[in-house]
Order: sequence, then C-alpha cells, then structure tokens
Amino acid sequence: MRISYNWLRRYIDLDASIEEVAQKLTSLGLEVESIEHLGRIFDGFYVGEVLDVQKHPNADRLRLCSVRVSVSDYPLRIVCGAPNVAAGQKVIVGTVGATVPKNQHDPNGNPFVLTKATIRGVESFGMICSEKELGIGEDSSGIKVLAADAKVGTPLAEYLGVNDTALEIGITPNRPDCLSHIGIARDLAAAYNTKYIKPIYNRFENKNINISTLATVNVKNTTDCPRYTACIIQNVEVKESPEWLKQLLNAAGLRPINNVVDATNFVMLEYGQPLHAFDYEHLAQHAIVVKSAERGEKFTSLDGKVHELSGNELMICDGERSVAIGGVMGGANSEISISTNTVLLEAAYFSPVSVRKTAKRLGISTDASFRFERGIDPNITVEASERAANLIAELSGGVVVSGLIDIYPQKIVPKIISLRVARVNAMLGTTLSAKQIKDFLESIEIGITAGKDSNLFECSVPTFRPDIEQEIDLIEEVARLFGYDNIENKTSSEVMFSAPDQHERQITAIRTWCESNGLNEVLTNSLIDSPTAKLFGNEIVAVKNPLSVELESLRPSLLSTMLQTVAHNYNHGMSRLQLFEIGTVFSAATEKNRSGYVEGYVEKNNIGICLSGEINMQSWHEKQRVVDIFDLKGLVMSLLRGIGLDNSVLIYYNASTSLTEMTIGVEINNTYAGFIGKVKPELLKKVKIDHDVFFAELDLDVLTKFHAVKTYKGFSKFPTVVRDISFIVKKSVTVADIEILIKKSGGERITAVTLFDLFEGQALGEGMKSVAFSLKINSHEKTMTDAEIDVMITTIVQSVTKTFDATLRSV
Amino acid sequence: MLDQKISELQSEIERILPAIADNDALEKFRIEFLSRSGKLASLYEELKAVPGDQKPVYGQKINTFKKSVETQFESLKASLQSSSASQKIDIDITLPGRERPKGTRHPITQTLEHMKSIFVSMGFGIVYGPEIEDDYHNFEALNFAPNHPARDMQDTFFVKDDIVLRTHTTPVQVRVMKNRPLPLRVIMPGRVYRNEAVSARSNYFFHQVDGLYVDKHVTFADLKGTLVTFAKNFYGSDIQYRFRPSYFPFTEPSLEMDITCFLCKGKGCRICKHTGWLEVLGAGMVHPNVLRNCGHDPEKVSGYAFGMGVDRISLLRYGIDDIRIFFENDLRFLNQF
Repeated sequence: MRISYNWLRRYIDLDASIEEVAQKLTSLGLEVESIEHLGRIFDGFYVGEVLDVQKHPNADRLRLCSVRVSVSDYPLRIVCGAPNVAAGQKVIVGTVGATVPKNQHDPNGNPFVLTKATIRGVESFGMICSEKELGIGEDSSGIKVLAADAKVGTPLAEYLGVNDTALEIGITPNRPDCLSHIGIARDLAAAYNTKYIKPIYNRFENKNINISTLATVNVKNTTDCPRYTACIIQNVEVKESPEWLKQLLNAAGLRPINNVVDATNFVMLEYGQPLHAFDYEHLAQHAIVVKSAERGEKFTSLDGKVHELSGNELMICDGERSVAIGGVMGGANSEISISTNTVLLEAAYFSPVSVRKTAKRLGISTDASFRFERGIDPNITVEASERAANLIAELSGGVVVSGLIDIYPQKIVPKIISLRVARVNAMLGTTLSAKQIKDFLESIEIGITAGKDSNLFECSVPTFRPDIEQEIDLIEEVARLFGYDNIENKTSSEVMFSAPDQHERQITAIRTWCESNGLNEVLTNSLIDSPTAKLFGNEIVAVKNPLSVELESLRPSLLSTMLQTVAHNYNHGMSRLQLFEIGTVFSAATEKNRSGYVEGYVEKNNIGICLSGEINMQSWHEKQRVVDIFDLKGLVMSLLRGIGLDNSVLIYYNASTSLTEMTIGVEINNTYAGFIGKVKPELLKKVKIDHDVFFAELDLDVLTKFHAVKTYKGFSKFPTVVRDISFIVKKSVTVADIEILIKKSGGERITAVTLFDLFEGQALGEGMKSVAFSLKINSHEKTMTDAEIDVMITTIVQSVTKTFDATLRSV
Repeated sequence: MLDQKISELQSEIERILPAIADNDALEKFRIEFLSRSGKLASLYEELKAVPGDQKPVYGQKINTFKKSVETQFESLKASLQSSSASQKIDIDITLPGRERPKGTRHPITQTLEHMKSIFVSMGFGIVYGPEIEDDYHNFEALNFAPNHPARDMQDTFFVKDDIVLRTHTTPVQVRVMKNRPLPLRVIMPGRVYRNEAVSARSNYFFHQVDGLYVDKHVTFADLKGTLVTFAKNFYGSDIQYRFRPSYFPFTEPSLEMDITCFLCKGKGCRICKHTGWLEVLGAGMVHPNVLRNCGHDPEKVSGYAFGMGVDRISLLRYGIDDIRIFFENDLRFLNQF
C-alpha cells in the first residue's frame, strides 16, 4: 500500500526522520519497499520576485532581470527571454544546480541542470520558469506568474504543496488493519510508545429530516452481508475537490475524480472502510435491498464492463434492479454524476469469502474488494460513515440527514484468547516478564484481564485484528513489538546425526564424474507441448491451466528439452555438445510399492546424457571427429564403472524406444535402468537439428540403489600371456557373440578379450569382415606352458569357426 | 729428465683442456693424450730409461698424473654430454598441452550444493518429495484456508481440481512430519512451479530449499541462531542482516531475513531496489495448526521451518540480470561456471 507521510502525520506526531520511521515500520512487519520524496524534483526552485527589468545590451528579445529569491541575500541577475516578464511579478526561479524537469528546447523534453551561463556576453545566475518546464502545466508561452501573495523564498515544493513523501509498504495478507493511514499510525504509536489521534471534524447535520423518511434498507442475505449502513447527504454540488484533498490522494496513488467520490476514497484510506456513494435519485423506490444475484443476470459495472452473474454474487439492489456488486464495484446505473443532488452513502461489512469468490469469478480487483477480502473491522462502519458523510457535506456544501440506517443483526464481538506468560517465553526463547508482555499487548489495544493467576491473561482482541485467532498469534504480536532483533540468536543446539544417505552421495558422485569427464550440466523446463509429450507414450500428465500450449504437459523424458538445448546451441554457433541433466520425469500411472507420491502419478529422477557434434576439441595433435554411438556407449559404461557398478551392468541389444534407433538397453542387477541410442531423424527434424544426436537416459534410483562395498579379490602371481587371433566372418555375426564364445570356450583363464582390429574389404569377399582379438591368458596356479596355451587357443578357434562359420586368419 | 717431461705435459694439458667446448675436440684430446699411443702412454716408455731403484717412485708419479688427467677428462665429458643433450632436443615445448575438456556443474546446482553442505554440517538430513502434489499437502495441511487470500500469493498450476504442481517445497514438511519419527532435522530441496508469466525476474518454475526442525523446546531464538549461522557461512561472515516480521500461513511467528546488498554493500542500488537490503529467506515457528494436522501435539513439541529460493540467490551471487539465461543452457553461459 502507498501512503502519504503528510497524511500519516495528521494522526500521529512523529519526532523522527522519515528514514527512521521507515525502519521502524519495517521492523514491525510493515515493510517499507520504497520511499519517494515527491517534492524533491523541485529542489533548487523558489518563489522569487522580479525587482527590475532592463534591456539586454546585445539582444533585442532578451532582458536582464533582477530577481530576489531570498529575503536576506542579494538579488540574482537572470537573463530572461519570456515576453511576459515584468517588474513586481512573483515568479518561479530555478537557481544554479537545480534540475529543470523538462527542457523546452529539447525535442524529447529531457531534464537539464542549471549552471551559471553567459548569454550574449552577460552572466545569468538562474532561470525564471514556465509551467511546462516544471511539468506543472501545459503553458509554455511565457513564464508562470504566481499570485501576488506568494512568499519570496518559499521552496517551490512547499508552495505547490507537494513536499510530501510517499511510502510504499508491503502489507502481508494477515494485516488488513494496516490498509489505512490510521491503522499504520496505530501500529507506529505502539512502537513509539505514544498516542495516535483520530480525525476531528465539523458536523453538517440537518436535524429536521430523518433518514427513515427518505430510504429503506433490507438485507436479505446476512451471511454475506453481516452489516449494512446507509446515510444520506442532501444538496450536494458535485465538483472538483480542493487542492489539499487532491494532493493527499495523488500522493497515496489515487486519481482524484470529484469531491463526493474523493471523499469516500479519502475515508477508505483514512479508516480502511470502503464506502460507496449512490445517486439517491437513481435508486428506484429509494430502497436498498441486499441479496444474491439472479442466475444469468447481466450487470454493467461503472467501468462500463458487462458481467453475466452466476447467482452466487451478493448484489446491492434498489427497488427494481441491481445497482452494485457488493463490496466489489458500483453500477453505471447509479453512479455519482455532475447532476447528483442527493447521495446515499453505503458503509458495510461484507463477508471476506463472499467478496473474494465474486471478485475472483468476475476477474475484478478493486481497492474495496481487496480490503473486504482480507477482512475490515465490522465495528468501524458507523464511525467511518459519519466521517465520510460530513466530509462530503463540507466539500459539496450539502447537509447530512439525521439518523443512520444500521442493519447489524448479529454483532461481531472481540475474541477472547488466553495467553500463558510461560508459553510466550518457551516459544520465543526469551525471558520477558508478565508486565512487559501486558504492556506490549495493551499498546495495540488488546484488552487484558488477569486469568486465574498472574501468569495467565485473558486477552480481548479488537475486531480490526481478524488475524489474531489463537495464543500463538498473540505471541507473534509480543515478538513483533519486542523486536525480532532483540531476541537472542541461539547458536548452540543438540546435535543430531542424520542417517547416512547413499542416494545423495551417489548423485553427487555421478555429477562429479560427468563434470570431470567434460560434460556440461544443463537444467531445462519441466513442461513441454502435449503432442511431443505423447510421442513418449500415452500416460502423460497435463496441466489444466497452462501458460501456453508449448508448456502444457509434464515431461515424460529428459530428451525433448535436451533437444531444445542442442538446437539452441547449434543455432548459436556451438558444435561440440556434451551435456547431461539430472531431473524429474513424470507419467500418469500407478506403481506399486512407491510411497511418498500422489497416487496415480509416477515421478522418476533420471539422468539424461547427450552427445552431438565433434567428440574432441580442435587441436594440433588430433583430428576432429564427429561423435558416434560408441562414444556414448563408452561414456555410459565408463560412468557406470566410475560409480562402482562395473560388476552388475548388463547391456542388451534387442531394446527399442519410440525415439531412438541403434538402441542399447541397460540393466543393473537385472533391473531395467535405461537406454542408449541415436535420436530418430524425424524427431530431430521437428526441432531443426541437422546433426546426429546420441542420447542416453537412465533411472537414478536404479543407479544409486545397487552400490555395494567392494570386496578385494587376489590377483595371479604368475605371468600373463597375450595371444592375438583373427577371423573372417559374415558381417551379420556380432562381435559381442564372438567375444562371449571366446570367453566361454577359453574358460576362466581368459582374463580379457579385446577387439583390436576390425575391417571389411574386397579381398575378404562380399559380406565378410575381419575381426581381430587380443586375449590375455593367466592362471592363478602356475605359469602356463606354450603347449597348454596352444591347446586352449585351438579349442577357441575350433569353437568360433564352427559356430559362426568363420575362417581363421591368423593366430 | 722425466720430471721435466711430466711438468711440460702437465702445463700443456692445463692449457688445452679448459678450451675444449665440444665432443670432437674432446675426442682429439683423448687420442693425443690418453690413447694407447698417446702422450701419457709414452711416459711409461721413458720409465724404461730411469735407473732401477727410482723406477717405483717415477712409476707412482706417472700413475698419479695419469689418474688426475683422466678424472678431468671424464668430468669434462660428462658436462659436455649434458649440455649437448639439451641442445639436441628440437621440440617446441610452447605447443599447447593435451588438455582434458572442462565440464561444468550448473550454477543453480552449485548454489544448491553449497547450501546443502552447510546444512548437512549443521546436522540436517536431506529429504525429497513429489512435484505433483495434492491440495491437502500443498495448501490445506499448511493452514491455507480454502478461500484465503494467501492462496493468491502462489498462483497455481492445476493437474486436476485437487492435484497441483507444488507451489513450494513446504508440502514435503507435511510428508516428513507425518511419516518420520521426531526429532526431525531436515532440509528439502526441489523444483516448484508458479503460474506466472515468464520475465527477466520471474520464471514459472524455480528451485527452493525448505528446512524443518521439530523437537521438544525448539524456540524462535534457535531459529534465528540457525539462520544467522547459515547466512554467515553462505554469504560471508562480514554481512549485516536484519529480521522482519512477515506472514506465511504455515508459520507463526513468521519472519523474513534480509542481508546487506552484496553489490552496493547497503548503499542502495538497482539490484536491491535502492533499499540496501536483499531478502534472502522466509521462516518462522511451525504453526500449531500444522503440527496438529501432522499428528503432533503443539503443547508437547515445537519446531521451526524456513525456505529460500535457489534461483534468486544464484542470480544475486553470480550477478546475472535475467533468470531465463539459467534454462537456455547456452554453452557460453555454462562454461563460465
């Protein structure tokens, strides 16, 4: 909320600077978000008097003026080109150093700083200003001439009445009592241990007429409208508000409209009670009926918008039709106009829930609805209504009809809440005395009566504090008024040992491995468009109110946003992409034995790894090469080995996904962990990527679950023998199958089988390839003889040639 | 006679040897003096002419002389070899080394890991919860009344009428309070969602860390001490801070913590909106209604809770002025971290 400091000081005498007051407000929980000195733009401008005007010796159009801007100092010589300058005028003088808000000679009207200038050979010490230059009017034909009684030397801001300061205060939803100047004054008074005063005003009452002869009020829905008051002001003249009122409203950020509307807005910002003024003559049968809307009813609010009503809205009606949406906005059919003569003023207490529902449904938020939603004081209504009625009368020359209609069938009374002194200290970690606590609470008008002992208070909470509902809320008030900064920062604590967290440790290990191996971690959107999401399967989770169709479905895989990242980087000139992301993926399904999630939805924590473009950096020692599936396959296998899963990984080649080709499946301890593959070209086409992209996605829960402590195994003391063998086989025979067979037929003494050469060629024959393996052979029991090894190799060769119809090339 | 020969030879060697600068000259010297037919060998020939009784004396003399020349020769040879070795290397060692590519952790991860490590050192465990959350955990159990304006503080994405994308990590507090035994001392990091238009300052998803401590006798003073300790660890021991009363439906009393703007050191700048302060977290004592909703008796136990935004703090830490750059994942951005 924006408040005017001048306005605030109508209710509280503050012996502190604005900055100190702002700090105090912030420490009370009324955070001052900004301080705007409204008059500061006029610093250096004063009311001056033109003593004498002479011709400029070197220019026909210019004059030399002698201008007094201070009673004590010498007059200033100012060169002025305005046609209307004359001796004896009171004018606005900008002195050297002042910033002129608008430069008339600049096409954009930018501000400029006044300096001592020599104009056609004569020194000038300031400037006599026009309205336009100061931004206080449109006339730029000559200098602004002020009233003769203007006092020389008065700072311009003060003369204009704009030496005010606006404070922007962030009011939390629990503090509706501070949505007014009096409310803020009340909290400040408590903090400064002083008093605030309510406005004192003149009454303009016509005792000869009673309201009961002029109007009736019938509240049919007292649930949504627990209190409704009306009063009437006659013989009003609707016109512009006086300067003081316009200035205060402007400072508080409200646009002045006319004296009647301004008076209601003023009292709203003064007391926090929203008010509505109806044109009495436009109320059929001079009646007010408060009831729920008709279903399907159409209503035009005073901003000209037509609303179709659901029947749940609370409406203010006259004898025939609706005239306002209760607590939200008035209607066009009864608004105050220049011809209004009699005003019916509404001050009511509407139920917060009802106003909130209506405002939300109709998409309207007004200063009134904002306050009603948060809860105004139901017992301020009459006080505020009388204040507003008399202000309207004062400003418009009208009179207030005696009497006030007040429909308030069930009075809302202060809550009584018990407070234990010991509880206050137990919650806050303080040692406050009963007396201190009592003083704090009484300072914000909480009534205290002693309970059965001196350490128990019965607290009567004023109705302007709907947020205080139980003991803890009173404790907060004590803490707030004592000052959060005065409560100890307790830095010792009972030590607690948290359970070792393998999952957390493994995730960190995975990240570290990826980072150390040159991968860049990315974080991408969780929401993607639904058609893309559906490519991954049908169990998609979509949001009902997306920001856009591109952000409608929760990602079922990390792939699609990874591709967006890849596309972005290719589009910006990067060509070596090695990325990973750790993030959540979603599906609409039910998974058994999965607690801690909302039923019907499965969330998984995955890692996505993506390679595209060149695998290596450009360098003098190595040719650049584009990535292929074996780079990613190797990377994933290294990662799994790197995090200690080497003995439990199984990869298989009959896997498939709807998004990748050349897909390799990964299992860890017989549990599906994810896949490695080449992203299908049609998917790449969609995001306009014309490079191959390789992608792996693995389930982190599986990766982190099977980490086991390693057990040492002894290694052989006898030498290892290396033998190479190569075969010519059909291309369709896979290396993996040959490897498996070599290990099987060689037995456990084969400690490693490494493919070290692979080629195809005319010489080998159509559809054939040559594969060469290096075998490491070793025994734990003895040094193996050549003869023993020869037997083993022969067995292997026979087995491979027979099984795969292979030809031995060399041993 | 022989004495003279030795001394002549000695002075000759002393003249030649120091001038030798390369292997060729050294080899020439060796042949001239030390070879089998060299000048030193010829001294032994002269020995034949020496009278018999003096033979051992002169033999000894020649031996000593020869040994000393040989020593000088070897040492010169060694020094010539080592200097010639360095001269012979013909490699430009200014060529770039074969570097390993640099990987990076996302800056938001780095911020989060830093936070986690501090809290873990203060005895907090780490717990995660679902991003698809029900109204009960996200709002109701946290004391958000069905039609309370506080619900407006967090514009929500709905999956169904009562299923939302969590708007904060606080629902995880409800889950742990219901499912784990007390005392509880945990942090709960994760991604959260708000239905807000994307701009330089706000995004529709971001990351939070919530914290919770529930035990007997937990006080507001404990909360303040924990937060100050964290802030000094995380932001630096020289920071100034302040606590302001604030409002969250699930804590009472509630606070927000500001620290001096680390860009302007409190003088006021664009980042801190000219206030000199930056809001870094919200916190408070767990509301008795929330404790009750989670099956705990607020008369017997109390607790504090806090929450902070990882993305916003990362913006401030790294001097980034547009939050969207975090999720563009441009390598020119990522490689700076």
